[in-house]
Amino acid sequence: MQTNSAPDDGLYGGYVLEPYDEMFEAAGRPRPHYRDLHERLAGLGPQELERRHRLADLSMRQQGITFTVYGREQGVERIIPFDPVPRLLDAREWSRIECGLEQRVRALNLFIADVYRDRKILHDRVVPPELVYGASGYRRQCVGLHAPRDVYIHVSGIDLIRDADGRFLVLEDNCRTPSGVSYVLKNRQVMKQVFPLLFGQHDIRPVDDYTDNLLALLRWIAPEGCDDPAVVVLTPGVHNSAYYEHSFLARQMGVELVEGRDLVFDRGQIFRRTTRGLQRVDVIYRRVDDDFLDPMTFRKDSMLGVPGLIGAYHAGNIGLANSLGTGVADDKGIYPFVPDIIHYYLGEDPILENVETFRPLVPSHRQHILANLESLVVKAVDASGGYGMLIGPASTREQREEFARKIQDNPRGYIAQPTIRLSRHPTFIDGRLDGRHIDLRPFVLYGETITVLPGGLTRVALPRGSLVVNSSQGGGTKDTWVLGGASDA
Amino acid sequence: MLSRVAENLFWMNRYLERAENVARLLGIELDLELDAGGRSGESGSSPVEIALNVLACRTEFVVSHGPADRTADLEFLTFDRGNMQSILSMIARARENARGTQESIGVDAWRQANRLYLYLCSSKARRRFHSSPSSFYTTIKDSCILFDGMIQNTLPRDEVYHFLQLGRFLERVDVMGRILHAKCQDSMATESGTGGSEPGIESVRWTGLLRSCSAYGAYLRSERDRVDPLSVIRFLVLDPDFPRAVRFCVARCRESLREIVGGDDDEVAIEAERLLGRLESELRYIDVGEIFERGLLPFLDGIQSICRRVGQEIQRTFFLV
Repeated sequence: MQTNSAPDDGLYGGYVLEPYDEMFEAAGRPRPHYRDLHERLAGLGPQELERRHRLADLSMRQQGITFTVYGREQGVERIIPFDPVPRLLDAREWSRIECGLEQRVRALNLFIADVYRDRKILHDRVVPPELVYGASGYRRQCVGLHAPRDVYIHVSGIDLIRDADGRFLVLEDNCRTPSGVSYVLKNRQVMKQVFPLLFGQHDIRPVDDYTDNLLALLRWIAPEGCDDPAVVVLTPGVHNSAYYEHSFLARQMGVELVEGRDLVFDRGQIFRRTTRGLQRVDVIYRRVDDDFLDPMTFRKDSMLGVPGLIGAYHAGNIGLANSLGTGVADDKGIYPFVPDIIHYYLGEDPILENVETFRPLVPSHRQHILANLESLVVKAVDASGGYGMLIGPASTREQREEFARKIQDNPRGYIAQPTIRLSRHPTFIDGRLDGRHIDLRPFVLYGETITVLPGGLTRVALPRGSLVVNSSQGGGTKDTWVLGGASDA
Repeated sequence: MLSRVAENLFWMNRYLERAENVARLLGIELDLELDAGGRSGESGSSPVEIALNVLACRTEFVVSHGPADRTADLEFLTFDRGNMQSILSMIARARENARGTQESIGVDAWRQANRLYLYLCSSKARRRFHSSPSSFYTTIKDSCILFDGMIQNTLPRDEVYHFLQLGRFLERVDVMGRILHAKCQDSMATESGTGGSEPGIESVRWTGLLRSCSAYGAYLRSERDRVDPLSVIRFLVLDPDFPRAVRFCVARCRESLREIVGGDDDEVAIEAERLLGRLESELRYIDVGEIFERGLLPFLDGIQSICRRVGQEIQRTFFLV
């Protein structure tokens, strides 16, 4: 641990360097692609940064860029804390990530197609069948399903972290209805409004063509013979925590935002209820989970879905993104096998590696886990959003004992990973910059081609020392700049 | 357009229009009360009473309230979330509807509705309310008008716009009817009770009515006459050009409904359009003297009842698909 400079030295005063630091390669020495930003921040100074930071918050609050927090009272609207110091990725590094993501999503997509049809990968014993059938995202109703053009995971968000050695690793795949992309687009907008100065001479890859690409993708999956498809975004409603995003995407694409009760199934087709009677729907970008999509096929108590929707999909009368049952690919129990899945379908080595993962089902792994709970992170395979986790180094004896019991009772229900020191990034805290842990969720669109949104959502754990970046647990976000090739030369 | 969205838009503007009118009314009435000095008891109902009548929430008020206390009364009408008709409750519902229709009304209008709501929830609003109620209400009224300005200047004249217009003007007809009813009942009661009050008070009262409708300046330019009951009623009910006059609002409702329904001008496709068309032509050809002969209050009641039926018909035709 080393201190960057004297504590009273403005914005960077007292900055503590810990590996891996995204901005600094050594004390007082910013990495080449951060030099310009480093200087511009210093020029701005703490007070101006503070003032503009407040403006950014106010602008987000007034635009209603909020999410709903469950658990207390009944749903409080909050803005996600926005950190004004952007995270930078240089062109060379990004192009490797881009290739790695494309490879991974391609393989996961083939995996889903295989699992619900030929099951070759299961017969060849590359992935244990019991893990697939036992996965919480596996849907037996999808057996035999053939998605139009063989694409299942149209939109995915793959969570990456950088370890102490500076390597990017995949922490988690999100193949169902990943959210956060609206923050990527909004963060950039607010950044331009409030901190135009910081952009300077940087050559930054734009992000705002995301919604154009998404719309093109959705039109591409329309049923055959449909020249001008009617596309809609399906939301659970205004009380959903990601409602802002649903509404934002519908607005940016210029399509209607519908709820389940606006749609009706009639003779194999889906219609929407309009002031001029029923009108046909051709493609649904659904932000409703599988279970709630159609009470005739999945949960009978769902009030959010459309009875008959799955029938219309099977009959090929409607395009659906993402397809059904895709949760089997992002299951935490399947995750350790993704490198093998890539090998199996593509015959390639994974470009992006997984985090080392132990499975209690394997006896030697189980012993290792139980002996090292203090240094491991244990995750329930069917939980997300930072819930149902044990973070070894921050846990109490009682918590460790509780998890040891759970693991022994239900070894299939958990995985364990070494506690990774996520990379840190200068973050504006109490009038100066301080290192905070971050991750990255890039978004991948799988249509006619696979496109990766340059950058993605950088999440930052704001409490000092915290490794949990989820917005439901006090995480914030940063604008993420992928720099063009020019600045590298 | 989705029926659910159309319904949200229609009600959003009804709530905003109602909130705007209550804010305007309270702002002006509190101001007038100062003019009338200690004689408010003599010159008719208090601002709170009039607002309660207009909002038809006197019963809730009596139930939830103890002895009269001016500030508590105003708070009930303004900030009380338990009172469905308080300004805050109405703005909250309008804002919730706006949140659910952002992709239709656009970012500017949504942001304005959100800003107004956040302001009403803030301590800043409370401080302003306590230090200067009249100017607080003016701020609220202006914010509502700014929202409408966003709508007028950013939206294309399509179905979205016309459902918004329909909600706004139908509510305005309704509220104007209620305001006239409350204020005129007052005037008539004192006239017959005391055998005519002094002319000064009389004129103050009718001027007050005009001001509660933001109509004083327009009235003076149009009538070039002293303020007398007949001309005031003629202006507020029958004027074709003043945007808060009943006839003007009914005409806007009918126009927007026509745009929504489509089809040619000679055919009446739905019941709501027939009701509005008939009311519009009556307001066009009736003489103000006849209104008084028939009785002003029954005449206003008639307009209210047509408003209700139009609302029901719109609900039936467009929202219950």
